Amino acid sequence: MAVDFSQIVKIAQTLPVSLISIILSNVLLIFGFLLGKLVLYKAEDAVKFFAYFSVAICILFVWYFVSILWFSVSNLFAGNAVYSAIFPIFLFLPFIIGHFASYEKVHFYTNIQILTLIISLLLALSFI
Amino acid sequence: MGQSLDFEFIHEKKCNRAVLLFHGMTGSPFEMKKMGKALFDADFDVFCYCLPGHGTSPINIKTVRWEDWYSDSTFHYRELTQKYEEVYLGGLCMGAVLALAIAAEYREVRGIVSLSTTLFLDGWTIPWYNFFMPIGVHTILRYYYSFPEREPYGLKNETLRKKIAALQKRNTEALDNYPMSCIYELLKFSKWTQKNIFKVKAPILLMHAKEDDLTSPKSAEFVYKNIGSSIRKYIRLENSYHLVVMDNERDFVFEKSIEFLNSLSAYGPKETGLKNFDDMFEESVGV
Repeated sequence: MAVDFSQIVKIAQTLPVSLISIILSNVLLIFGFLLGKLVLYKAEDAVKFFAYFSVAICILFVWYFVSILWFSVSNLFAGNAVYSAIFPIFLFLPFIIGHFASYEKVHFYTNIQILTLIISLLLALSFI
Repeated sequence: MGQSLDFEFIHEKKCNRAVLLFHGMTGSPFEMKKMGKALFDADFDVFCYCLPGHGTSPINIKTVRWEDWYSDSTFHYRELTQKYEEVYLGGLCMGAVLALAIAAEYREVRGIVSLSTTLFLDGWTIPWYNFFMPIGVHTILRYYYSFPEREPYGLKNETLRKKIAALQKRNTEALDNYPMSCIYELLKFSKWTQKNIFKVKAPILLMHAKEDDLTSPKSAEFVYKNIGSSIRKYIRLENSYHLVVMDNERDFVFEKSIEFLNSLSAYGPKETGLKNFDDMFEESVGV
């Protein structure tokens, strides 16, 4: 099945930048967590590499949080109260998951984190 | 709790006074060995145990919580109070925070020697991306990330630094990185200690290097300003980094610690008096 990129570009041009930003940061975060969990986490001796990888994930988180705030605030001013109320939940979820996580259950909580990111991505896509 | 590990040390000749020493985060009793020997030579019985999660597999340190360090240390402290008339506490880095936390709960602590107290991670070797720390420590990422231990390894003395670097490569008791989960626990513990610092009434001697690479003198200054002790002394070291018990001024640190503890003890030499230490601040001469 051939992907029609011109169609995707056309759709993207009609979307708010904040929503595109949420989608992009979301996809990269999911990819980053999967990469970390399935490939990189096994290489425990690569401490320095892991440090920079984690910093990259932190930067993505900051981008993700800023995008959510941007989307919510702009929708609030546009009078879409429901849109602006839904996404901020995802601002807190990484910290709630982090609060309950433990080393013994790190894979379980990583899966929960990935799942919440997937839900957030689906929600963002539903606005298209 | 109270497990016996090969690299704990106990110097005992059953006198009336004992010092319980605590090593730092990701360290081991090895780093306190010289100080322990100096105190023992000055007629103190000395005890230093390996903290939970330390000294075994690097994975173990990721599974412990600050409450584990605290309960294990109070267990050893209570054990010593059964055997000794005078029990003093001493610690380096997180060990200093432990000493303060115990003294906040147990008013009968006779004195504290707090070295390179780590309440804030704000030293000059903390990586540039430190401002991401809140996201790192409060999310699942803390189990994936470790701060790599790097030069100067807390040492200003270059000869020693080379030796430590070689030991790190051979991977001895100490870890070559700081797991973020461990930093998370330390920061929680530090917050708890900051809140309770006013409860500490025991006399305290603080020593902190001006150029500490891991934690700036802000931590020692916070303790000095907010502690409930009426007898407090703060010495700022001019020629050391974080590991003051191994660095250039170690003999000065040992000498001042012994002098301070003797001044508090009923069993020490009589020439020193408590009044000498009442609310003092001084700088070392840069030994």
